[in-house]
Amino acid sequence: MNVLVTGANGFLGRHVVSALLARGHRVRALVRPAARLDGLGWTASVEIFRADLRSTRELAPAFEGIDALVHLAAVVSGGEDAQFAGTVTGTERLLTAMATSPCRRLVLASSFSVYDWSRIHGTLDESSPTEAAPDLYERDAYSIAKSWQERVTRRFAEKHGWDLTVLRPGYIWGRDHAFVAALGQQIGKTYLVMGPLVRLPFTHVENCADLFAVAVGDPRASGQTFNVVDGDGERVWSYLGSYLRSTGQRALRIPIPWHLAFALIRLAYATIFRRNPKLPHILVPCRFESRLKPLRYTNRRARELLGWRPPLDFEACLARSYGAPRAPLPLPGSLRVTDP
Amino acid sequence: MSAAPLKAALIGAGQIARQHLSCLRQLPGVELAAVCDLSPAVAECAAERYGVRSWFTDHAAMLREVRPDVVHVTTPPTSHYRLALDALQQGAHVVVEKPATTTLDEIEGLARRAGDAGRALIEDYNYLFNRATREILRRIETGEFGAVVHVDVLICLSILGPEGFADPNSPHPCLSMAGGAIADFLPHLASLAHLFVGPHRRANSIWTKRAASILPYDEFRAMVDAERGTATLGFSAHAQPDAFWLRVFGERMQATANLFESRVTFNRLRTGPKPLQPLLNGLEESRAIRSAAIGTLWRKFRGGPGAYEGLFELIGRSYRALAEGSAPPVSVHQVLEVNRLVDDLKPRERA
Repeated sequence: MNVLVTGANGFLGRHVVSALLARGHRVRALVRPAARLDGLGWTASVEIFRADLRSTRELAPAFEGIDALVHLAAVVSGGEDAQFAGTVTGTERLLTAMATSPCRRLVLASSFSVYDWSRIHGTLDESSPTEAAPDLYERDAYSIAKSWQERVTRRFAEKHGWDLTVLRPGYIWGRDHAFVAALGQQIGKTYLVMGPLVRLPFTHVENCADLFAVAVGDPRASGQTFNVVDGDGERVWSYLGSYLRSTGQRALRIPIPWHLAFALIRLAYATIFRRNPKLPHILVPCRFESRLKPLRYTNRRARELLGWRPPLDFEACLARSYGAPRAPLPLPGSLRVTDP
Repeated sequence: MSAAPLKAALIGAGQIARQHLSCLRQLPGVELAAVCDLSPAVAECAAERYGVRSWFTDHAAMLREVRPDVVHVTTPPTSHYRLALDALQQGAHVVVEKPATTTLDEIEGLARRAGDAGRALIEDYNYLFNRATREILRRIETGEFGAVVHVDVLICLSILGPEGFADPNSPHPCLSMAGGAIADFLPHLASLAHLFVGPHRRANSIWTKRAASILPYDEFRAMVDAERGTATLGFSAHAQPDAFWLRVFGERMQATANLFESRVTFNRLRTGPKPLQPLLNGLEESRAIRSAAIGTLWRKFRGGPGAYEGLFELIGRSYRALAEGSAPPVSVHQVLEVNRLVDDLKPRERA
């Protein structure tokens, strides 16, 4: 298939491009006009299309000859307005262009942040409730933008009858991105670990990218939503320990029981802080929950429907994240790309 | 029986619009009737979030169907003129974000239209309504400050990062204005100079660039001779940390405020032994700085408009005036005089 990948040079995108190539797809990588592409290790077969989803006037040419779109682009830094404009308005403009093309297949990178964590107990899976107004607007800028991105994409897909697959990754980690927000509050060389035994919904970037590549080519994925996690998830305490060891940091870890921390935050939020949404994330209960709540996670749907298994186990992920740089994942079967 | 609420509508639902909507939502006597944006998601999201009754992507359709009493124009500045003109023609009062227009001709055209239609044209000079500015004004009005001799305004703001004005991927709309990104801040500087020393007679400005970037200029200084005194105005993209310094020099008192915080201090002529004056001024100043610092942090935790306190005050006063039929807090005459200064401050040729 000819696949257009947005956000192709991002942390996840560069691995998705490799995974698509490994499965024999041809890739057109949509990257921003000023993006630097050195060090990505792409073969010359990757076609580059430079555009900014927020402002490039003509996006329709990006879809010429394209069979499927993998939409990963999102703005993950800056203020709420910048994130909304980059992620949601950019998606509107991209999908408006797609609607003028024959392309009907779309895989969207959504996020665990779209779930309504306050209402979920026990196991979080694809049937768990998603966050809606008005509570959505107490969440952080990223969650608001990703929720709206998914909402807008589903509406486009329904209106135009597209085959949509939504993948919702948990915490994507990997080389140079091993620190995730759920590891606690860092104060100098001390980490306040809220809920040290909580399991986190991790997916290593290469495992996550593999599921994107699988979903593009598998018709059983059409119309489905999949959570992307590697397994049960590592516990915060042990993951943080391996992170500190592997990065050579000496730091003090102070465990704080999750329920105690959450009760204090809720009390302060309702009394002293008077439900002020401009507080640091860790002091807003719904944002605290969305990062740290003790739940169970599963990739059962991807396993059962697509027969997917994460290619790398945790030890291999550690080695690939902290060890010497290595080549991309070994390619499955006979589908191999040769460098020109 | 209370009067019917004023119907407010807003065009352009980006960053600054959120401040307008947050304020309007909690104002009594205001009905948030409609919001409009070219992006359906942005418009719908703003409507859902702030409880706005309807949303549009076509401003003409919104003006026609909703017939708002007040229209807030909060789009990028290059589109203000057309949108504000359409709103005035439909019979609405207009609150327009700064810079109200990109040329003097355009603002004069809007002012004429507002005058002919008997409608208010309010440009957002929010820093005139900050607590610190109002406290300085109060002391001037009571006479304790003495006549203002000089005002100095300097904005230090890092705008060279890859997000915002200097985004290399998506050119910021302000870059098309004479002066580039700094032009976006000229109305703040000019409105404060105008407030304290009146309409200007002449102005000289220096526009320079210290670092390579896509911005045409990153430093600006100006000297202004005005009817009641003088002003020095500046913008620096390099001087750090971020601050908005306002210094007002009177015949008996001097005030220093950082309008990004709630800090304002006063130095005054004192009776008593001269050697003690620096000590007394220092003690008074340190007390004011301490209480402002704690107040700023407290407000951050408790919520509220934060650095936009002046905008909330301006919008509140505007709606009260419109409801009562009294003079709005920013007059058309004032808007014209401020914009004449803005025009004189602009660079005559691109760097």
